Amino acid sequence: MEQRERPVIRVRDLYKIYRVGETRVRALNGVDFAIQRGEFCSIVGASGSGKSTLLNMLAGLEKPTKGEIVIAGEHLEKKSENELVRFRREHIGFIFQSFNLMPTMTALENVALPLTFQGVAKEVRMKKAAALLDLVGLTKYRNHRPTQMSGGQQQRVGIARALVVDPEIVFADEPTGNLDFRTSNEVMELMRTIVREKRQTLVMVTHDNHLAGFADRIFHILDGKIVNIEETRQAEQSE
Amino acid sequence: MRWLDLLRMSLSSLFKRKVRTVLTVLGVVIGTASIVVMISLGLGLNKSATDQIEEYGGLTTIRVQEGRGGSSSYSGGATVVFSASSSSSKDQVMRLDDASLEVLGSLSHVKSVSPILQINVIAKYGAYLNDYMQVKGMTQEGLEGLGFEIGEGTLPQPGSELTFFYGNMVAADFYNPKTYDYPYYSTGEAPVDFTKDTVFFIFDRDAYYATQNSGGSQQTGAGSGSGDNSGNGSQQPPKKYLIPTAGVEKAAEDGSWGMNSSSVYCDLDTLKATLKRIFRNKAIPGQPTTSSGKPYKEIYYSQVDVSVDDIDHVMEVQEQIKALGYEAYSNIEWLEATQEQYANIQAMLGGIGAVSLLVAAIGITNTMMMSIYERTKEIGVMKVLGCDMRNIQAMFLMEAAYIGLLGGIIGLGLSYGISAVINKVVAASGNMATLSLIPPWLAGAAVVFAIVIGMAAGFFPSRRAMKLSPLAAIRNE
Repeated sequence: MEQRERPVIRVRDLYKIYRVGETRVRALNGVDFAIQRGEFCSIVGASGSGKSTLLNMLAGLEKPTKGEIVIAGEHLEKKSENELVRFRREHIGFIFQSFNLMPTMTALENVALPLTFQGVAKEVRMKKAAALLDLVGLTKYRNHRPTQMSGGQQQRVGIARALVVDPEIVFADEPTGNLDFRTSNEVMELMRTIVREKRQTLVMVTHDNHLAGFADRIFHILDGKIVNIEETRQAEQSE
Repeated sequence: MRWLDLLRMSLSSLFKRKVRTVLTVLGVVIGTASIVVMISLGLGLNKSATDQIEEYGGLTTIRVQEGRGGSSSYSGGATVVFSASSSSSKDQVMRLDDASLEVLGSLSHVKSVSPILQINVIAKYGAYLNDYMQVKGMTQEGLEGLGFEIGEGTLPQPGSELTFFYGNMVAADFYNPKTYDYPYYSTGEAPVDFTKDTVFFIFDRDAYYATQNSGGSQQTGAGSGSGDNSGNGSQQPPKKYLIPTAGVEKAAEDGSWGMNSSSVYCDLDTLKATLKRIFRNKAIPGQPTTSSGKPYKEIYYSQVDVSVDDIDHVMEVQEQIKALGYEAYSNIEWLEATQEQYANIQAMLGGIGAVSLLVAAIGITNTMMMSIYERTKEIGVMKVLGCDMRNIQAMFLMEAAYIGLLGGIIGLGLSYGISAVINKVVAASGNMATLSLIPPWLAGAAVVFAIVIGMAAGFFPSRRAMKLSPLAAIRNE
């Protein structure tokens, strides 16, 4: 079935080496994996394991020292910074740990922001943003500013913002890191439901094994290497 | 990103930081106003100077006078008592006669030539005296070309009888020779009304002074009217004449006067004929004589005004006339020198204003840098969400341009206010000229310049914003 399809993310022999004074720190030390379309994967590891570096590179925010990253058929390691920005604009959604909503904009405007960057007309993007806010259950909060909402509500807005451009891949960087246990579970459920409905690929970084368990596959990373790929049975269960 | 969205986003981030924006704009307001006011002063000075020059006989007129024909030595006309001009190098002297008129008139770009015969006479009215009255004989065309506003009477008409037309300041030059009192300046009342009063004229000034110096008493009430000059060789007082008045120039309401207001005008041919009759067999004062002191048959003109078709050809024609051997002057040289001088003043004033705009520009840069440091995370988020790098730069450039635009417009408004106040103060102090002048081009240029300065000041910060790392968005503080 889906395994035969070309993977949407393909990473080969990826290295990232930082120089700290005289010593070299290998943040990533030869990473290989592939992620299929529609998969929900989590990358788990202790802090300093290199999981965030990996996510940054997958999203084109950092350049690898060596190796290749092919996402949606395009080689990220060869792109210039401006090309990477355009690539993100067209293919990628991003969910932040600290939500990073624009404080002066309403929830609706925040969700519509990526569409603004794409040059979508105002009525179209507002309509689409409203639909996404409905989807994450914030219909009533359209005109609220981030400071008038709880953390969970803010992250829902963040999720809606990541999904509004219909990205093929959504990256989430500790999306529940600033939320309490109950809200975290709600947000995780929401993310899983939505990407599964839309057959979008979700890659999430976390240090929490419980949250990682929401995913179809869990990549355990240690000292810059993937030490174990754990298959959960959730994909089959939900279908 | 759409232009409208870019404009709106940069405008809203300015509104977010109201106090800072207002202060930065204030800097630009002061900078723009100081530049505009300074330049407006330069322009006003320049314009009043140009106007003044134009008033003094226009810019397309060349004054031609007799020249030395390129010959070398200038030798002493001063020793010849009864001849004002030199006589020893007479062969080289290019005098102005009817033949020269034709030569001058045939030059290309010359519209018309107007000869002037100028003599100085003494006018007496009661106890008052004007011992250096300029009388200019001109052709009808030339008289009309002076553009007099006639108060009473008419311009002098051609004919057998000499008539005078008075500039409105001629009466002011009458004084009492005993007290050296000029009634016009001490009482504000002109002592003579040429339309009513009987004024006597003495053409032979030399004879008049000769009788004065030798102590010969003046015989007042002598016979008037034209007649023979009886003072042949002896120290008899010269004959006095009564010249009918043709008209008087209208006095300006503001008390100002033009270049022609201090002279008396008459018809050229009539003046020539009259002079020949008065000075029969004698040298006319101011006219050249032969080496033996005898007068020439012809009366030479003191000056010929050559009118040129276009201001651009004035220098060219002037050079040609000089090459012919005449002396030629025009206001264009004056104008060029004046304009150069005022351009320097203007550049200096503008430079003073530019310093304050430079300070304002540094203020813009500072504000933008602060704003970028504060918004590092925001910019990072935008980059992660796919905002084009050029759009980020454009946003910050626009913010800076808005500051420039706002400051420019408000500064321009302020400049108009300051300019009006300056002109009012100057006018109140009795000066007619507008000292501060803001033409539309200056207004437009000021606003454009303010925007350009704003964008230039914002360029470096905007590049910095563009190059910020998107990783700033990921970091959690």
